[in-house]
Amino acid sequence: MPRNGKLVRIILVLGAVAVAASFAVTAASAKRSAGSLKGAGSSFVAPLVNAWIAPVNSNLGISMSYNAVGSGGGVSAITNKEVDFGASDAPLSVFSPTCTTCVQIPWALSGTAVLYNLPGAKNLLKISGAVLAKIYLGQIKKWNDPALQKLNKGVNLPSTAITVVHRSDSSGTTFNFTDFLSRVSPAWKSKVGTNTSVAWPAGVGGNKSAGVAGIVHQTPGAIGYADVAYSTIAHLNVFKVQNRAGNYIIPRLKNIKAASALDTHPAKDGSLSIVNPPKNAKYANAYPISTYTYVDVQKSSANAANLKKLINWAVTKGQAFGPKLIFQPLPAAVVAFDKKQIAKVK
Amino acid sequence: MSSAEVRSLERPADRLRRRRVANRAMELLAWLAAATAVAILAIVVFSVAKQGASALNFDFLTKTQVPFAPPNVHQGLANAFVGTLVIVGIATALALPVGILIAIYVNEFARPPVRYGIGLVIDILAGVPAIVIGFFVFGLIVVAHGQSGWAGGFALAVLMLPLVSRTTIEVLALVPNSLREAALGVGAPRWRATLGIVLPQTIGGVLTGATLAVARVAGETAPLLFTSSLVTNNIDWNPSHPLQTVPVAIFELSESPDPADHARAWAAAFVLLIFILFASLTARWLATRSRRKLGRAAG
Amino acid sequence: MSTLDTTTDVARRPLSGRRAHLGDLLLQGAAGLAALGAVVLVGLIAYKIVQGAKLSLSTFGLGFITHVGWDPVHLSFGAGSFLFGTAITSIGALILATPLSIGIALFLTELAPGGIRGPVTALVETLAAIPSVVIGLWGILVLGPVLRDHVEPFLHSALGFIPLFGPPNSAGTGIFTAIVILTIMILPIISSISRELFLSVPGELKEGALGLGTTRWEMVRGVVIPYTRGGVAAAVILGLGRALGEAIAVAQVIGAFTGISWNLFNPGNTLASMIALNYQGASSGLELSSLIYLALILLVFSIIVNIVAQLIVRRVAKRQGLAQ
Repeated sequence: MPRNGKLVRIILVLGAVAVAASFAVTAASAKRSAGSLKGAGSSFVAPLVNAWIAPVNSNLGISMSYNAVGSGGGVSAITNKEVDFGASDAPLSVFSPTCTTCVQIPWALSGTAVLYNLPGAKNLLKISGAVLAKIYLGQIKKWNDPALQKLNKGVNLPSTAITVVHRSDSSGTTFNFTDFLSRVSPAWKSKVGTNTSVAWPAGVGGNKSAGVAGIVHQTPGAIGYADVAYSTIAHLNVFKVQNRAGNYIIPRLKNIKAASALDTHPAKDGSLSIVNPPKNAKYANAYPISTYTYVDVQKSSANAANLKKLINWAVTKGQAFGPKLIFQPLPAAVVAFDKKQIAKVK
Repeated sequence: MSSAEVRSLERPADRLRRRRVANRAMELLAWLAAATAVAILAIVVFSVAKQGASALNFDFLTKTQVPFAPPNVHQGLANAFVGTLVIVGIATALALPVGILIAIYVNEFARPPVRYGIGLVIDILAGVPAIVIGFFVFGLIVVAHGQSGWAGGFALAVLMLPLVSRTTIEVLALVPNSLREAALGVGAPRWRATLGIVLPQTIGGVLTGATLAVARVAGETAPLLFTSSLVTNNIDWNPSHPLQTVPVAIFELSESPDPADHARAWAAAFVLLIFILFASLTARWLATRSRRKLGRAAG
Repeated sequence: MSTLDTTTDVARRPLSGRRAHLGDLLLQGAAGLAALGAVVLVGLIAYKIVQGAKLSLSTFGLGFITHVGWDPVHLSFGAGSFLFGTAITSIGALILATPLSIGIALFLTELAPGGIRGPVTALVETLAAIPSVVIGLWGILVLGPVLRDHVEPFLHSALGFIPLFGPPNSAGTGIFTAIVILTIMILPIISSISRELFLSVPGELKEGALGLGTTRWEMVRGVVIPYTRGGVAAAVILGLGRALGEAIAVAQVIGAFTGISWNLFNPGNTLASMIALNYQGASSGLELSSLIYLALILLVFSIIVNIVAQLIVRRVAKRQGLAQ
């Protein structure tokens, strides 16, 4: 019995030591170390932001960490000041509640690709906005549906069932994708609409862009949407999407650049819309689901100095890391606007 | 003729044969059921072990996560292991003393109606789903103070509390009253008797309960999604930051399209499983040891 | 709990009219505070959840419970589709797990040769120890493809005339996969409680029946099962409680679809999995409040299920106490 008593005492002492130790660690590193920034948000831009971590560390001396929780998660994180910066592919005005004390800065430009997994099929099949909307409405259910077959004459499409994949979380990519569908399909616009999270009429939900890519990767016959970088990451095929000029366009740098010519002057809140450019010689080769993505920062931030360094670097030198991941470098006018926006952060 | 009448016309030997056949059939089904359970477990453990062991290497245990990195970059889940250690440690430090105190109150001080009431409360607490506890801690702590290892530890502690209380109550009840009377008889005050003599008798059982609770809670994902998910990818010991944990890492990696991420998820599941099996075995050994001790004390 | 009821010793009475040491007061105070804390905690949980759901409660009222659909654009939310998902997955899991668990318990108490009784018991309990996220991982990467490629087409071709077994989908995810996963998770709970119940049947009753010439199965059917009926019911209800609350493994395999579908091979969503997948980026305060409303419904169900199980256990224990 005395042995047990000692055991009890030893355990109590160990427990107390452990609790004391964690308080000590907390106190010692209470303030986040000077050169570190924490961000969260869009999984669309995650490949690029993650590519920035190492050069930002070596060139600016800032240790950055980024959590791809989705645009909705990013906006709520920056609204609640849980992170230093939030990233979202949808403008702040779309969210409610939203960050009313934030500055919105477009910091990357890419395209939302329509990914598919069809064993035996070649890459770059053609699809039109109207057919895509019908697929996502659940009206077209098989790959060899006449509407889809008509667009791809000469390709023998199998009778595999189409599994529609969408986002199950609040997503800026969803906002841009549904924005496109609403513009090309009045039926979609009235039945479902545009938002970061909608009432999907059909299909399976994946968590974040990686989740969507994951499900498409695992499911023969699946169609999904995500930033085009995920087609490389997940080794998935992409559709050539028809634009208003009638051409079928690959989500490639030069096609995204063509679309970006639609709007080079951000609105007062920093947002830009380049979805579905009109039928015009200038946009003959524009990829119709090209999208800007934003970084949101509180106007008065504890880490203002580091944030300004980071974002100034990101919109200038950081853009060089983009092309490999199919992020088109920002037009000069947008960069100029960005610099003025970031100056507002104190 | 009704079936009963038909049956009554059966010869006794035939009826006996039919009953024996029915018996055999049921025995076969029971064997099949047990075989199914064993097979399921074997398949799950085998999948985890096979996939996990092959992805397990030194890098995995020591390096941290680097999302979207090309395959040649060495990465691992060290940040998740550290985070789980810290958060489960906090949870245990919170739940163990409180759970033991509750058990002491229920067993040593409370009147029967109060005892019943608190027992009911603990059972209700045990039945609250982990995800609801996640929302609760989110509303209580995270909304005002942001995510942190403390919030995650508190959420896990709420999950552990009923487990620790229940097992401690059961073991305390097993301590024979003669022991308490003897202690009081020599003039020891109640608190001395309880803490110095009765409780140490049960230490094996308490540790069993604690170990099982730790094993259960080390694999909990849902409450941590709410309290500790916006994490850095560095190895971080500081509980005032949200920390990456093994179950949340597995959850995130399981949805990825990258087979390398899947491999890391398997490896993490493998490590988690080994830890939990080890903890369960330890708990079982402690339970047997304490049962033997109590048996000796009672006799 | 029954052992406590039988003691009425001096040693256990609360301090009253005795020379109270400071240490005694401190211990009783601290212990009492802890116990009070547990009560406060449960109350606080209920309060916080109701508070969080208040916006949605006032906007939608009780109609929320039956409304099917989750539309963040038109701000119309409802629990209907998730109640359906929770019901169909839990009931499906119970239908599969109950006979299997009872079979395992009977095997372990009546049929197993001494040598394998211990290891098999340990194995079944180990199944309980596997974390849900690991089972979910296994479900996505191993079970899903097997169900998709072999089991679902087979079931559809054999039983396709029943709407439950409609055309399989090509993802490995869906309600059926979730049912199988939940079955695996509640199996150990029901079987270990049933095993203990079967072990508690008095030997004389069993031997009496066998002595009259019944076969083993007839003895089980006529003695063991009626004797333990209440307890097994409680075990099944506890398994139901576990299935209701499981969020993570279900979220990983169910396919996150909002809507009502009787085809088990289609994707779906339960109360718990909907919360797990959507809370992080709820696009509006109303959506977040509606998610908490879902949590409130889940909480109420879990408490009811738990209380019912406890009541049955107490009634059975009392009856058995009287019988002895």
